[in-house]
Amino acid sequence: MRFKPPRWKSVLIAGASLAVVAACAVGGYDGYAGGDGYVGGYYEPCCYDYGGWGGRYRVGPPRGGVAHGGGHPALGGHPGGGGRAAPSIPSRSRR
Amino acid sequence: MNVLFEMRRRCAARGLAALTAGFACALLMANGATAAALFQLPPITDSPSAEHHPGKVIWADLVTPDLAGAERFYGGLFGWTFQDIRVGNSIYAVATLGGHPIAGIFQKPIPAGEHRQPAWLTFIAVRSVEEARTEALAHGAKSLAPPKTYAGRGAQAVFTDPEGAVFAVLASSSGDSADYLAAPGEWIWSSLLTDDPSRSAAFYRVVFGYELFDLPSDDGAQHIILASDDYARAGIHTLPPGHHHPHWINFVRVADASRSAAQAVALGGRVLVEAHPDRHGGQVVVVADPTGAPVGLMEWSDQYTKDEAELK
Repeated sequence: MRFKPPRWKSVLIAGASLAVVAACAVGGYDGYAGGDGYVGGYYEPCCYDYGGWGGRYRVGPPRGGVAHGGGHPALGGHPGGGGRAAPSIPSRSRR
Repeated sequence: MNVLFEMRRRCAARGLAALTAGFACALLMANGATAAALFQLPPITDSPSAEHHPGKVIWADLVTPDLAGAERFYGGLFGWTFQDIRVGNSIYAVATLGGHPIAGIFQKPIPAGEHRQPAWLTFIAVRSVEEARTEALAHGAKSLAPPKTYAGRGAQAVFTDPEGAVFAVLASSSGDSADYLAAPGEWIWSSLLTDDPSRSAAFYRVVFGYELFDLPSDDGAQHIILASDDYARAGIHTLPPGHHHPHWINFVRVADASRSAAQAVALGGRVLVEAHPDRHGGQVVVVADPTGAPVGLMEWSDQYTKDEAELK
């Protein structure tokens, strides 16, 4: 006598397998395609507008010794920045 | 006979269930949080070290539909040379300068019918991608790409921060590059332009352990320095008027920003922000490469001059 599993169980198992495959096959989010095997290739939403940078808008690092403004909410309870000057970028030359 | 039949039925059902579970596990391992890639990427440092600088921007990747065009542009502008590596169905080029790895350029077509912006992706050093991922997701980040390990390079993952800016984390298996002043042609600085600098700063502090410093400003914008190891690692700035999309932008050190901007135009790029002095005294320019990816150019003198002191 040959055994056959109940049909509803076979359907359930096949369905679960397909669900797992589908979940794994869906790649990324909002433009990221993970299917190419590299994590890092990401196109940003189009498009940047770089107007509006006035002459006083400064994004660079400070030279050492710039006192911070203090009172920043994100600094609350954190030892960093407590009255110390903002550091600068490394100054040591590689060569 | 009925007992024997029932035993055989149960065994068969368990076997099928075990097979299914094994299949599912194999798929999850292949796609999941600790998946390992089938190809190898070179290390981000020219010589392995035990140095680790969590919070330091240690790598950048450009995604572009035109690898050859990008190599012409960045090679001509910064003197980078390239080593092309086949990655799955595409090509990944590693840019080097003087033998030092600088950046990666990944060629991928823009999905048909979509308006997308080629861009540089900023990689921040972590000791553990999994731990960084846990903290980031717990504090409002979204995962764009789950952690993946590449032999030679390490593990990396991509996120959007709570304001929507895209960034990546990298646990380098060859250590992090030492803290030297960038030479001309190397990355010198990274800035996050965002709607709410305070909220962003709080997020990056908790994920990367930064110290935060407010900078005085007279431009109506908020400027916060992210620091680790007592070095400034990056800045967070209020988006200028007219900007709508929070994003990171990285700056390459150049000797003469105006001259480099003209060179960028001659190579097929365009100027997005004209040359102007920054707080450190040097000129800053933002250009777009031929496919539109923005990149900053920044002068930085080795000598601290009186003019710079007055600009503080």
